Amino acid sequence: MNIFIRELKSNLKSLLIWSIIIAFLIMIAVTKFSAFAGDPEMLKVLDTMPPAVLDALNMRAFNLTTISGFYGVMFIYFGLMGAIAAALWGSDIISKEERDKTVEFSLVLPVSRSKVVTSKALAALFNCVAFVLITWMVSLVAVQTYHPDKAFFDFLRIEMVAMFLLELIFLAIGLFLGCSLKQYKNSSSTAVGIILITYFVSIVSGVQENLDFLKYFTPFRYVDAGDLFRTGQIEGVYLLLSAVIIVVFVAAAYLFYNKRDLYI
Amino acid sequence: MSIIEVSNLTKFYGKSRGIVDVSFKEEEGEIFGFIGPNGAGKSTTIRLLLSLIHPTSGSARIFGKDVVTQGPEIRRDIGYLPSEVFYYEGMKVRDLLKYSASFYEGDCTQRMNELSEIMELELNRRISDLSYGNKKKVGIVQGLLHKPKLLFLDEPTSGLDPLMQRKFFDLIREENARGVTVFFSSHILGEVQRLCTRVGIIREGKIVEISDIRSLQQNNYKKVRVVTEGSGQTVFDMPGVTNVLVENGTVSFFYKGDINAVLQKISSIQVTDVTIEEPTLEEIFMHYYE
Repeated sequence: MNIFIRELKSNLKSLLIWSIIIAFLIMIAVTKFSAFAGDPEMLKVLDTMPPAVLDALNMRAFNLTTISGFYGVMFIYFGLMGAIAAALWGSDIISKEERDKTVEFSLVLPVSRSKVVTSKALAALFNCVAFVLITWMVSLVAVQTYHPDKAFFDFLRIEMVAMFLLELIFLAIGLFLGCSLKQYKNSSSTAVGIILITYFVSIVSGVQENLDFLKYFTPFRYVDAGDLFRTGQIEGVYLLLSAVIIVVFVAAAYLFYNKRDLYI
Repeated sequence: MSIIEVSNLTKFYGKSRGIVDVSFKEEEGEIFGFIGPNGAGKSTTIRLLLSLIHPTSGSARIFGKDVVTQGPEIRRDIGYLPSEVFYYEGMKVRDLLKYSASFYEGDCTQRMNELSEIMELELNRRISDLSYGNKKKVGIVQGLLHKPKLLFLDEPTSGLDPLMQRKFFDLIREENARGVTVFFSSHILGEVQRLCTRVGIIREGKIVEISDIRSLQQNNYKKVRVVTEGSGQTVFDMPGVTNVLVENGTVSFFYKGDINAVLQKISSIQVTDVTIEEPTLEEIFMHYYE
C-alpha cells in the first residue's frame, strides 16, 4: 500500500499534464468541428480526396458532418494518446528507480520484487483509468452545444472502453519493457517505437487488402473505430487476443524482474 | 549458526569479473572489515548479499536463510548504507524516513528522532536540496531506524566531515555493543583498524586473506629497519624477508618467521641503529597488493 500511494503521488504531475493535453485536443477538435457540422459542402470536398487517403485517416466510414462521425475520426488520437501514456507509465514506473539510482534504497526494503511490481502496476493502472475517465468527461462537456443523441453517447462509451483496452495492452507491454530491459534508457523509447510500428501496421493493413492478415498483429485494428461504430462492440476474437497479450506480458514482466540483476 | 555464510560465491557480469569463489563467515556480534581497492568486488559482494544482483554460482546465507530465495525475510533485519546514497528527490527528509519506516514492523518514530538528533539532520528539508554529506546522514538514519540485527556499511564515511565521522563510529560501536553484527567495507584502512575485529582482504575479485586484525599485525610481519656503516646490507638475503629497501646505509624490510633468526643476522654485522616494529595495516595491505 505504501508503494502504491507513493507512486500515485509521484505520478500525479504526469497524469495532470497528459489530461491537460487531451482536454486541449478535444476542445480544439470540437471547435474545428463547428466548421463541418451539418455542412453538405464539406462532404463534397471529402469525396474528391483519393480513397487511400480517406482509408488511412479512417474517414470513409464516417460522416464527418455529424458529431458521431467526427468522434469516429477522433478516436485514433485518443487511442494513440492512451497507448503512449500507458506505455510510458508502465515502463517508467519500474525503470525510473534504476535511472534515479534509488533501487539501492527501494529494493533493500523488506519487500519482494513481485510486490514492488504489483504495487507499481496498480498505480500505473490507476492513472490509465483516470485518463480514460477524464477523456470521457471532457468529451461530454465539449459536445454539449451540439445536443447529441443517445447513439452518440453509446458510441462514445464503446470508444472509451476501446481506449481503455489499448491502454491496458500498452501498459502491459510498457511494464514488461521496464521490468526486462536492464538498460533503463531503452525501455521508454522502445515502448514508443512499438506503438508507432503497430500504428503504422494498422494503417498499411487497412489500406492493402492482401495485408489484411496483419490486423491480428496490431492492437489498433482490434478497436477499429469504423467497426465500433457499426457493431457497437469489440469483436470477441480481438478481446481474447488482447487478454492473451496482457496476461503474457504481465507474467513475463514478473518473471524477468525477479530473475534479473538490477542496474546500479 | 553464522550470521553471514558465504560459500564459493561467484559473479560475472557477462564476461567481466565481479567476484570469484568468495567464501567467508561472519559470526554474531562481530565487526568484519572488508577491505580492498576500488573495483576489487566489495560492492558486488554486498549487492549479492542484499539480492540486488544474483550470483553466477555459489551461495550465500544470512541468518541461515538463502539470500536468493528468502531475500525479503532477511532484509527485515538488515540495515544498509550504500557508498553513494540516492533517495526520491522530491520528498522531504521526514517523509522519506517515515516511508522507509512503514516497511518495518513496530514503531520507529522514536529511534528516528534520536538518530536525527545525533546526526544533526534537518528533517524538514527536501532531499534534492541536501548536500552529499547530508544525504549520507539521511542514509545513516534510514539504515538504522528499524533497529536492524545486521548492518552493511559500504564506504560509509565518504562525504562526512571528521566530527560526523566520529559520531558515526560511536554510533556503530553502540549498535555493536547491543549485539548488532556489522559488515564494514572500506578501502580506508585506518577506519577498519579502529573498528573491526576481523578483516577479509579482497583483491581482483578473490579473497586473499581472512584474519584477526591483531594477528594480522602482530604475528605475521615485523617491520625491521637497520642502520649500518658501510657494507653488510646483503646479509638479510634470507627466507622470510620481503620488501627490502636500501637507502644510504639504511636497510628496511618486512620479516615473517622466527625472530631469533633475524636477530642473529643483525648481531653479525656492525649496526648503529635498529628498530623492529609492527607494521600498520596500511603497510600490510600494500604488501598484499604488490
